[in-house]
Amino acid sequence: MVKTIISILVVSCLLIVGSIYEHNFVNKQFDDLNKVLTVLYQKIDDETATQDDVYAVQKNWLNKKKSLHVFIPHNDIKEIDLWLSESATLVRDKEWKDAISKIEVLIELTEQIPKTFTLSWENVL
Amino acid sequence: MAVNFVRTLILIITLMVLMRLMGKREIGEMQPYEFVITLIIADLACIPMADVSIPLTYGIVAIICVFLLHQILVILEQSGSIVRRIISGKPSVVINQNGVDVVELRRNNLGVDDLIESLRTAGYFTFDDVSYAIYETNGSLSAMPNTNKNNVSNSIPLLIVSEGKIEYHNLKLIDSTKEKIERFIKKQNCTLKKTEVLTIDGDGRVYFKEKNKKYKITKFELKEGASW
Repeated sequence: MVKTIISILVVSCLLIVGSIYEHNFVNKQFDDLNKVLTVLYQKIDDETATQDDVYAVQKNWLNKKKSLHVFIPHNDIKEIDLWLSESATLVRDKEWKDAISKIEVLIELTEQIPKTFTLSWENVL
Repeated sequence: MAVNFVRTLILIITLMVLMRLMGKREIGEMQPYEFVITLIIADLACIPMADVSIPLTYGIVAIICVFLLHQILVILEQSGSIVRRIISGKPSVVINQNGVDVVELRRNNLGVDDLIESLRTAGYFTFDDVSYAIYETNGSLSAMPNTNKNNVSNSIPLLIVSEGKIEYHNLKLIDSTKEKIERFIKKQNCTLKKTEVLTIDGDGRVYFKEKNKKYKITKFELKEGASW
């Protein structure tokens, strides 16, 4: 009985701490990416962005995604990879209109993905 | 993790409620919650194993949730009989001094056929071989042998009438007809509809149970040469 109660307490604590950590970690990573993408968006809007700017964002994302693989479905990560790669080519070809729409999608993704980790009816059901 | 946990919790509770509603037949030697957990845990391990797009954490968290719920249920079960009855159900006495209790069988989504099968598994071949038979909460059958029974039959009794319905396949085996059986039932001052159980063995020995009455052992004249 004592062992069972201890196991319940330990596992509950682990789950609570894990949930809080996951929530904070995912939010922070995507907040950071969102900031970087917003800067890139401004540059593309001003038509001053270069391919190196997109590569810098990609490098930043590469470091983040290693740890995000633990919490995020890999398909969501792949989606961001693909949008970023497309943006790099569009910026290189100076197709600003198309590039900005890609970055908009990426910004939207950085806002929506962390929301799937909050405890809400939409996510539970 | 929190979303994962809540989803796992909802699914397990749903499955447990359904398992309890399905009755004892579906459980198979386990408590209902143990069965649900066994059922779920294998799948939880398999999904992230097979699908590489799902992080391993999802599977691990769900399995840990199942473990947590199991431990909570173990404690709740030990805490009192009411909680235990809600979680695991209560044993059902399906054969008592009056014979087979069809109402209790139906309450557990079981038929006379299932009872015969369980009795055979327990080593008893006729209903009057046992004084009491109880379906435990894990779906297994416990039986108390009838010490008053002297004669041992050498043939397996066949179920001829089950809950007012004739089993035509068995009727063929004893080489008899519906009319003969109805006449026999009438002789017992009963009707087919009111007959809950009627079995006949190779010697013509009949186990007859009328609704709301104690069972009786009687004799049926079998056609000469009828055997199975």
